[in-house]
Amino acid sequence: MKTVENEIGAILAGTISAITQRSIFNRLGPLAAMPVSQLSNSDRTTVMTELESSVRLFARRNSAELIASCARALGAETAAAPAPAHGAPAAAPASSPNGAAAAGASPSKRLPIEQEKDIATARLEAWSEAVRIGLSKFTSVKVATAVSELARNIVFYAGRGSVELRAVRDDKGPALRIVAADQGPGIDPAKLAEIWAGTYKSQRGMGKGLVAVKKLVDEFQLDTAPGRGTTVTCMFRGER
Amino acid sequence: MKDQQIPIIQIRNCLLVSIQTELHDRLALDLQESLMERVRITDARGVILDVSAVEVIDSYITRILNDIGKSVRFMGAECYIVGIRPAVAMTLIEMGVELDSVNTALSLDLALEKLELLQS
Repeated sequence: MKTVENEIGAILAGTISAITQRSIFNRLGPLAAMPVSQLSNSDRTTVMTELESSVRLFARRNSAELIASCARALGAETAAAPAPAHGAPAAAPASSPNGAAAAGASPSKRLPIEQEKDIATARLEAWSEAVRIGLSKFTSVKVATAVSELARNIVFYAGRGSVELRAVRDDKGPALRIVAADQGPGIDPAKLAEIWAGTYKSQRGMGKGLVAVKKLVDEFQLDTAPGRGTTVTCMFRGER
Repeated sequence: MKDQQIPIIQIRNCLLVSIQTELHDRLALDLQESLMERVRITDARGVILDVSAVEVIDSYITRILNDIGKSVRFMGAECYIVGIRPAVAMTLIEMGVELDSVNTALSLDLALEKLELLQS
């Protein structure tokens, strides 16, 4: 019984790295492990919408062909067969007006961070958001890296928290605001001074994450105190 | 997916590891341990880590790579990282993070070449 992950993985192999595929499947949640034959029409639509945006973003070439192959593999064209009475062809939204039409108010995306696998999901989510709002390829990798650091700090030090992504646009062009917040132990001022001085080393050899993020971003704000949790707010702008 | 392991391939007296998956704590430690063991058993002169599939390298992954590099060096072998993507390299520079316990090479071929030169 072939699952969505088996089928799609075989198609994307060689074009999209295994690591990125993993994050894409994580984003699909339980749908990834479902046998293709058991997908409902709405499941199929959900999977295809997700795949379309990811493939466009990460495939270096042939994204249209890949998307079409994915739709075929998921049985988009045979979907109407079991229940032909239902008039509405269950085809996946192969031509959904994605990307270009995604303008308008951009609501913020809040990603819960609770375990190690959430780090990869947050990173990918941030990356696609950066590309979507028009940040350069290089800046998008910086965004993904910064979110990776922030999410990792949450998992390692606070246990749980969230990363919020919000696209903002001002006279200087598109920008992405990232807020990483947790209710963890917070950082005391003495430790913080050591972190900025570069002399702090936690047992996990971390402590460099915050410094790295600060260097990567265009604006950085840290709000933390023992017992009050930690909130990092930062901003990435498009190239001037 | 539960007990995944990163395969280690031997090419002559080099060990090759291609990182195709998310490196988390447990996996990284396992990799380091099994690499050490393999270096010892095979008398390997070099360890090559291919990171060309890794799209984002943050300070945590850098630390893992440096740790592996250090331990390989302690065993008397050399560690090469190959396939760092341009955007990743530029991000590492901006972050001020150093990959100073490993050598780097553009490709697997070049790393093998350098290792071979080391031995003669």
